[in-house]
Amino acid sequence: MTALLRYQTALLIRSHRWLAPLLLHAAFLAVGVRVGEPVLGALGIAAAALVPTAAWLTRVCVTNEPPAARDCSAAAAGPGRTHLAAVLTALLASAALGTVCAALVAAVSAPSSADRAVAVPFWPALRAGLAAALACALLGVAVGALCNRPLLRSTAQAVPATVLAVFLVLFAGVSPAMAAVEGLVTGSRDGSVHLPLLPLTAAAVLAAGATAVACAASGRRG
Amino acid sequence: MRLTGVGRRYGIGGPWVVRDVDMELPEGALLRVTGANGSGKSTLLRVLAGIDAPNAGRVEGRPRTAYVPERFPAALPFTAAGYLTAMGRVHGLGRAAAARAAGEWLERFGAGHHARTRLSQLSKGTSQKVAVAQGLLAAPGLLVLDEAWTGLDPASRTILDRAVTDRVAAGGTVVFVDHDPGRLADAAHTVFRVEDGRLRRDGHPAPVAEDRVRIEAEGPPGAALPPALPGDPACEPAPGGRPGALRLTVAGAHSDELLRALLAARPPWHIHAVTPRETNR
Repeated sequence: MTALLRYQTALLIRSHRWLAPLLLHAAFLAVGVRVGEPVLGALGIAAAALVPTAAWLTRVCVTNEPPAARDCSAAAAGPGRTHLAAVLTALLASAALGTVCAALVAAVSAPSSADRAVAVPFWPALRAGLAAALACALLGVAVGALCNRPLLRSTAQAVPATVLAVFLVLFAGVSPAMAAVEGLVTGSRDGSVHLPLLPLTAAAVLAAGATAVACAASGRRG
Repeated sequence: MRLTGVGRRYGIGGPWVVRDVDMELPEGALLRVTGANGSGKSTLLRVLAGIDAPNAGRVEGRPRTAYVPERFPAALPFTAAGYLTAMGRVHGLGRAAAARAAGEWLERFGAGHHARTRLSQLSKGTSQKVAVAQGLLAAPGLLVLDEAWTGLDPASRTILDRAVTDRVAAGGTVVFVDHDPGRLADAAHTVFRVEDGRLRRDGHPAPVAEDRVRIEAEGPPGAALPPALPGDPACEPAPGGRPGALRLTVAGAHSDELLRALLAARPPWHIHAVTPRETNR
């Protein structure tokens, strides 16, 4: 698995296909986050922005190998493991991006509640922001795993399905991403920091399930 | 490896591309699959290589597997050596062994000078050499070649033929499809035919004959046999020969290498005789 992860990571970095989702992410943050705004709300926006980015990065990773090369690695390591390596690479890249952005956002934001009345401590806020970012990254990867090959193979299905699923994950009432982001935003009102452990766990379970389905299908649906 | 009742179709409820395939893939066997265009050869090969899972039946006892496709237009952002090293590691080699094998196989196919060329800049034939090297570099237990010779120049085709027989002599299983009916015709142990999605054995399997070659050679007085000879030859004193003469018996695939090693030894060995010997295994 290490060799596969190293191969997929090299493939992602050298292909430069990470550039477009990264720019989208930067654009979201540039619009949504202002220097000196209350920290918890800003961390919530930074986390939410990670859902589409992670979904896109997953699409990049699972479609990065040309079919002939994919066949060669699938024969060497098994189609399920090859697919798992691609999805994990996307998750690692999204988590790394989320960590860097959460740290930057926490550094440039005001350590206070929304009405500036209550001080918000830096490290607990960053920890909660990182947990929310990880939950959003996991759900974005889950969307990417379910909305691309091997489950949806044509671009005409995959891209609209991804966009729709990203909206669902961000705005549906039961979504763990929504819960994690809302925990930060509502906490910002009175300056209380909620570590979103329950949404993070739910997101991890959903991502594991989605990845398992995609990996199991990768030998069956090509 | 063994396939029992294997079937494969694309999509639930779709037509079966191949079905009811029972196939035995013993170690040290060279198996050819034939069939008309669209008969399901490639689908069967994908199942054999483990790229596609069967929708029915079982595949048991899979060894480490490698697959070489017909076309390898790899738009991958790697150099030839970089890709092969990465794949060597995916095949289970260590870092140093993967880099060494990558260099050796590129060299063997006369593409050593392309080691640092990006895959996207390689010619079609050189890309195919990279694909073939990818299949061979980790000495897989099962090698699946889907018209891997297509696109190679004649010299490289011969090298691939040779690499295939070497792999078989070393106990690997090789399954191949090729346009050329003469491809490895004397070496193939069993020929299968895919017809209407079913697998048939073409005629009776020829008894597996392993061709071995005897080499009688004599070293300088008092010299020991050079170490690590190709093909690990069986060694005995030459009957009726001079005291220093030895008889070495080796698989046909290794005989040329063995001769070369003996002649290149320092001091060189003298070759008295080379005789082919057919034995039924």
